[in-house]
Amino acid sequence: MTAFGRILLVEDDPKDIDLTITALDEYKLANEVIVARDGEEALDYLYCRGTYATRSKENPAVILLDLKLPKVDGLEVLKQIRSDQKLKLIPVVVLTSSREERDMVSSYQLGVNAYVVKPVDFHEFVNAIKELGVFWVLINEPPPGSVGKPR
Amino acid sequence: MNLADQGAKAVGLQPLTASRGSQVEIPPPAAAPTVMRSLRAYGLAVVVIAIASGLGLLLDLQGLSRVPTPLLLVAIAVAIWVGGRGPGVVALVLAILSYDYFFTEPRYSFNIVAADRDHFIVFVVFGAMVGWFVSMRRRADQDLRQARDQLQHAVATLTEQASLLNLTHDTIFVRDMNGIITYWNRGAEELFGWTSKDAIGKSAHELLQTVYPAPFDEIHAELLRTERWEGELGKTKADGTKVVVSSRWSLRRDEHGRPAAILATNNDITERKRRDEKIQQLNRELEANNKELEAFAYSTSHDLRAPLRHVAAYSELLQKHATSVLDEKGRRYIALLLESAKKMGDLIDDLLAFSRIGRAETRNALVSLDQLVREAVSEVERGNEKRKIVWRIGALPDVHGDRAMLRLALVNLVSNAVKFTSTRAQAEIEIGCADGKPGEVVVFVRDNGVGFDMKYVHKLFGVFQRLHRSEAFEGTGIGLATVQRIVARHGGRVWAEGVVDGGATFYFSALKATGDEA
Repeated sequence: MTAFGRILLVEDDPKDIDLTITALDEYKLANEVIVARDGEEALDYLYCRGTYATRSKENPAVILLDLKLPKVDGLEVLKQIRSDQKLKLIPVVVLTSSREERDMVSSYQLGVNAYVVKPVDFHEFVNAIKELGVFWVLINEPPPGSVGKPR
Repeated sequence: MNLADQGAKAVGLQPLTASRGSQVEIPPPAAAPTVMRSLRAYGLAVVVIAIASGLGLLLDLQGLSRVPTPLLLVAIAVAIWVGGRGPGVVALVLAILSYDYFFTEPRYSFNIVAADRDHFIVFVVFGAMVGWFVSMRRRADQDLRQARDQLQHAVATLTEQASLLNLTHDTIFVRDMNGIITYWNRGAEELFGWTSKDAIGKSAHELLQTVYPAPFDEIHAELLRTERWEGELGKTKADGTKVVVSSRWSLRRDEHGRPAAILATNNDITERKRRDEKIQQLNRELEANNKELEAFAYSTSHDLRAPLRHVAAYSELLQKHATSVLDEKGRRYIALLLESAKKMGDLIDDLLAFSRIGRAETRNALVSLDQLVREAVSEVERGNEKRKIVWRIGALPDVHGDRAMLRLALVNLVSNAVKFTSTRAQAEIEIGCADGKPGEVVVFVRDNGVGFDMKYVHKLFGVFQRLHRSEAFEGTGIGLATVQRIVARHGGRVWAEGVVDGGATFYFSALKATGDEA
């Protein structure tokens, strides 16, 4: 496992993972991505548990979070992150297929930094992912305790 | 002066006067008969004294010298009894004069010898006493008769009221402050099954096994405070079945203001309650169904969109990746794939928006249709700058409704009009309002577009229903279904008129805003 994943992608659909990484690759950010396939794995990563027990302790610079996930769903993951002293500063972007107002409202209530609906059109999708990657990884200064920018 | 002669002449009147006098006591007669009656009473007073004097003289001549005194006294009594105080005084005075004139020495003179003076005084005192006594007696008799008549009247009124209470369909009974039933109407017999004979005298609470919605003491306190109480009560009929009644109580106080009785009106609402419960249960089921549908729509949003996105994405990647090795046909196939994926994305979005209308809460506010139409027109125009459209927009009223929803409905109607006039060199679109039913406004959107065949008008507002080939006019076929749903949620109707190639008019009705809320 790479020790300095600056993007934690929490996504269960392999095709979405593939497409997201393809999009991020345009800015050479593909190898910054750590993929968690469900909510539980995401929390394991964040808390350095299980298979991630030995990883370096920095937080990712951004979490791209799907809402509909096996085991622990996205909103639950978000809730836990926001209620943990060490994790609550991590920027979280919800990246979902759901246009439901309900999901949007709950996400913002839980303190999400951005809410992005995956566009059907691939161009738009690539653009959205690229912009997300560029903004949160390359432009934004992550909070202290996060994986630093590449030198 | 011979009173006896005068009296004899007047005798014919006597029976008439007497019978009238005793009859006409209670109903107050008009002014003229009153004068007549008192004249007759005075006449009678004169006549009876005259008769008594005449008879006395006759008997006196026969040697019965003690008889005239009681005869005159009786005559005074008769005059007072029949005529009252005024004729009584006249009779008394005449009797005294007659006694003085005819029956004291010297006879036929108003002088009295000293020997008869005591007799005369005794006669006067007796006459006055008899007169006073009879007039008292008469007063008492009149009072008694009046009281009797009043009582009869009251009884008649009460009887009538009681029979009216019996006529009503409502269940009415009265109980005293100890809860004992004192009145029980026919409605109560019919509802509860006990006859009034069975019910009267029993404790209402025990007989009906009343179940109160609150502690009885509280209800009773409220009744005493406000003199009224209403609520729903559980009762048990004679056959043991339970009923729910809507009960209204009124407190009656006696003449001293003390609580005396409680009148209870009860309406059987068992059936209504049962229906209400049934409706509530159906509502709960409906709500559960709606939740299920909502969950379905939600997962549709999520689950259908993901694979669709993948189809689109990989088609595009393929396009990018293999465009050099593909021939013209292959490139066209990929373009069609992408087009279809986009179309399906639009369909899913529209369908979800449509389902949201059914679920969303409508906010009821005052909405200016004028402004909404302007907004809708400028929104639709934004995508159709190249088109030549003549707008004719009339004045529109304010309505009550959900602004966002009504706006969506208007945008759909206007964009439809713009879409189906796209084949016209100059499109003409008219928006206005007409009178509907009272309190209602009818808004119409008329175009000179391709129109439609009225044969298919019933299909116009169905989901995914289209009357034109999709190459001719793009669209998902949800627009008018959405309009209908929005209008229906606002309590209105939608309808349309059209002629093939002759334009179409869409109408919807909405509730007119009343001035007081503006």
